[in-house]
Amino acid sequence: MTGFAVEMSAALNVVLLLMLVAIGLAVAHTRNLLTAILLMSVYSLVSAAWLMVMDAADVAFTEAVVGAGASTIILLGAILLTRGATARVDWRAMVAPALLAVITGGLLIYASLGLPEFGDPSSPANAYVGRMYLERTGEEVGPHNVVTAVLASYRGFDTLGETVVIFAAGLGVALMLGFGPRATLAPAPEKMGDHHVVLRVAAKMLIPLITLYAFYVQFHGDLGAGGAFQAGVILAVAVILYGLVFGLRETIAAVPVKAARSVAALGVMLYAGIGVICMVNGGAFLDYDYLFSPQVEAMIPANLLGDPHEEHHWGQHFGILFVELGVLLTVSSTIVTIFYGFAGRSIDAEEAKR
Amino acid sequence: MLLAAGTAGLLVAMVLMIARAVMGPSQYDRILAANSFGTKTVLLLAVIGYLFGRPHFLDVALVYALINFVVTIALMKFFRYRSLAQPLTASAGERAPHD
Repeated sequence: MTGFAVEMSAALNVVLLLMLVAIGLAVAHTRNLLTAILLMSVYSLVSAAWLMVMDAADVAFTEAVVGAGASTIILLGAILLTRGATARVDWRAMVAPALLAVITGGLLIYASLGLPEFGDPSSPANAYVGRMYLERTGEEVGPHNVVTAVLASYRGFDTLGETVVIFAAGLGVALMLGFGPRATLAPAPEKMGDHHVVLRVAAKMLIPLITLYAFYVQFHGDLGAGGAFQAGVILAVAVILYGLVFGLRETIAAVPVKAARSVAALGVMLYAGIGVICMVNGGAFLDYDYLFSPQVEAMIPANLLGDPHEEHHWGQHFGILFVELGVLLTVSSTIVTIFYGFAGRSIDAEEAKR
Repeated sequence: MLLAAGTAGLLVAMVLMIARAVMGPSQYDRILAANSFGTKTVLLLAVIGYLFGRPHFLDVALVYALINFVVTIALMKFFRYRSLAQPLTASAGERAPHD
């Protein structure tokens, strides 16, 4: 970066962070839940732009897709089940929590003074393990996006944990809100009215594009920004769009509730299964160098990825491919399950009112 | 320099959108502000991608452009139908925003 770009990025940081503070205060101030959700989606967008300025493209991707996209839609489903506004609280009840928040915030700001400078090359995070990842990824894992290599290979065990957490979140929503056979869905309309024909046609054109983009993010994540988590959410957004336009009944006919739940479990199983295979072949859990036994590895054609003379780490290559597939399955079907839970619950509530 | 001027212009527009989103007064103003803020973010991501010499930032801008559309449909549906589950039909379930 040139000096000008550095100055520019510092100025952008200041402006974007000030925007975040303003939006945060407004969210805390408003009593209306819909206003809060709208402001939170704007907050996520500003954070995404800010993370981009900080050069954290993968995180910005997640923030834009999850924070501003999927969670806004799911929160809209959630406020349909509530009253839509929070009650006013007596100010005396707020003194103790406010004091606690100020003290915690003050301590955090005080602690941040002890942090190393941003981008300091001699800070612990950059000096030892971070430098090692950067130096060795090329020879140990292959020509990957270093973020993907760290996430899926070096820290594969942590990522397995994250995948399980997402699965558990979906399980929680399914247990609390998910509807079983007792849920009745809105009756199928006799005929689609045609004054939303533009939306329906636009949705039909966009759903394949969104799906295609999800696969691009999934498979290109090895090389560029993005990866299975982001791709999973994008894939789920395609299903959600179908649900919004054509109704929940049609969506469940296309992606059954049971299928979504089973695939969420299947993804975790695939991920952990890869780890077990590595153990069976004599390596550590999720040590992809042992993914293939020597006989199997000998069967892989040398020119599978084009150049036959290039040295490949097939175990690493396929290991990352498979665990990312597991993450994609779990994340996408978990988000779909959560959407089904909230959207289906509002039907339940409506039926109960009648 | 042109890119920097564009960034500055976008930031001013974003501040104005935030002011509208915070002040309202009606929810429709806020939705409009949030929606245009999404568009401004897409543009900002694209511009700073080139400003910092990292054109692959465009991936994120593109994906948000797609997702913004879905979020807007969800918001519209929230107002029109008070349900995310109804199909978009002329007759079934369509009601006034507040009944």
